[in-house]
Amino acid sequence: MGKKRKHAEASEAPKEEVAQERPKRTLLGWKDGVPEKQNSSPVFRNREKVLVTCSRRITYRYRHLMLNVVSLLPHCKKDSKVESKESKGATLNELIELRNCSSCLFFECRKQKDLYLWMVKCPSGPSVKFLVNAVHTMEELKLTGNHLKGSRPLLTFTSNFDKEPRWKLIKEMIVQIFGTPKDQRKVKPFHDHVFVFSIVDGHIWFRNYQISVPHNETDKVDRGGLDKLTLVEVGPRFCLNPIKIFGSSFGGPTFYENPFYISPNQIRALEKKKKAGKYSKKVKAKKRRKMHELSNPLEPDEFADLWKD
Amino acid sequence: MVALRGKELQVNEEELEDSNVGDVDDEEFESESESEPEEVAVSEPAKNAVYNKEALLEKLDDIAWPQNVEWIHKLTVDHAVDQEVDVNDDLARELAFYTQALDGTRQAFEKLQSMGIPFLRPPDYYAEMVKSDAHMLKVKGKLLVEKKKIEEAEERKKAREAKKLAKEVQAQKTKERAKRKKEDIESVKRWRKQRQQSGFARGKDEELDLSPDEEKSFEKSKKRRTGVAPGDRSGGFRRKGGNEKGRKQREFREAKFGHGGRKGMKKQNTAESTNDFKGFNKDKFSASKRQKK
Repeated sequence: MGKKRKHAEASEAPKEEVAQERPKRTLLGWKDGVPEKQNSSPVFRNREKVLVTCSRRITYRYRHLMLNVVSLLPHCKKDSKVESKESKGATLNELIELRNCSSCLFFECRKQKDLYLWMVKCPSGPSVKFLVNAVHTMEELKLTGNHLKGSRPLLTFTSNFDKEPRWKLIKEMIVQIFGTPKDQRKVKPFHDHVFVFSIVDGHIWFRNYQISVPHNETDKVDRGGLDKLTLVEVGPRFCLNPIKIFGSSFGGPTFYENPFYISPNQIRALEKKKKAGKYSKKVKAKKRRKMHELSNPLEPDEFADLWKD
Repeated sequence: MVALRGKELQVNEEELEDSNVGDVDDEEFESESESEPEEVAVSEPAKNAVYNKEALLEKLDDIAWPQNVEWIHKLTVDHAVDQEVDVNDDLARELAFYTQALDGTRQAFEKLQSMGIPFLRPPDYYAEMVKSDAHMLKVKGKLLVEKKKIEEAEERKKAREAKKLAKEVQAQKTKERAKRKKEDIESVKRWRKQRQQSGFARGKDEELDLSPDEEKSFEKSKKRRTGVAPGDRSGGFRRKGGNEKGRKQREFREAKFGHGGRKGMKKQNTAESTNDFKGFNKDKFSASKRQKK
């Protein structure tokens, strides 16, 4: 029995999510009741582990955002900064394998101005690259809520997540990464905060609220208490703009490209160009005026010789 | 159509002019057309954008959890979107997020309650929170400061209003007082006239025909000082108790000079003061000193 168990665990571990497949269990073949029971209602264990890292030269604001995310996810492992942008795909994959994680949130800061977030499912999973805007960290004094560190969040999505395949994929990844596993070691028992993911104008907006409801018992809300439910914002806040979805982690074939995405570099370049045209526009306008004057000469003035001597 | 043609010709002419001027203008012409509505320039690459739906769905099946996973693992709630929210309107957007969260929480709580799982934090459950206590103190401080500011502003407003009212009331009072004074004088004059007219025939026994106003004025003045005789020059402080020496001195001074009692009584040449040798230097009058002179 012991040996069988070990074998079972070894083959179960890599396939924990895909619970239907049990092809190689020949040892249990002659126990009729057991394999059927296991096949029909397998114990699903969420063994998700997220690796959270950032690139070098990240600014304080984004670093605090990363730290906030680390405190929100009790099933994450924070790692030190990574360098070397050329082979970043390979090194990061290795790093994830090394830390025995199944997904990764990589905060990449470019030019100390723009923050890109990579959401990656490790072994062969898809990866999504986002541009992060409108960052407000938990340290802002206007965000007054507070909740247990490590309690499982409730996740709310808008219905447009189920409309298109790209949003469906992103939703699944968010559920797996931001949803805390039920039996994780550092998880606290109660549910006192809620995450909001909503798609507005092609961007994914994230909010985190603390739930406060008047109650006396732990498993029942008071009568009419649901009407007195209030939410206080805890933070952090950010807005994700999906850029590309790749087939494998940190690279691979592009499955989706956002047509409305303009990189922040391009935006800055365009603005500079607009300003740069000022002088040449002036010169052009002067030349045009000259041409116009040449082509339409004025009538000779009657009084031009009046003051001449 | 003709109008369009004309426009095209004009555009061509401009282009020629521009090309005459130089390279810089070309670039800037391009950038103008690009910067005007950004979506116009970008809708071109939209046609080239990759969107491989089948592959996406395949990948989704790869990574997704099995279908029969219990809700308690996922804890997701979907919220139906009523109408498109304008991104730039901050208040509306935040309100939409708030309602989404509220709705979702209600649904989730109902489910959890039906499952019978404890999901509400009891009041005596102390554990590490996501924000430290020091931070929460800062937040509290800020909230209190804001509250104070609002209250102060309100108080100032109220004070202003009250001041206005008070001024009005005071004006009225002074008017009344002046009126009464006038009336009093008038009534005395009248009485005098009456007496004159009746030729001073009345004797002392006859009563004064006082009107009720005058009667009132003969009542005690409102500033009551009980226990103080009208002729008391000490200002009513003479009978005060107190056994300590310092207190005695203070008392003495107060009784002599008054404690804001009667006006204009700083020093007086009273009988007590003439017999009082306290201010004089005893040694001056001693025999030895006198002999020196």
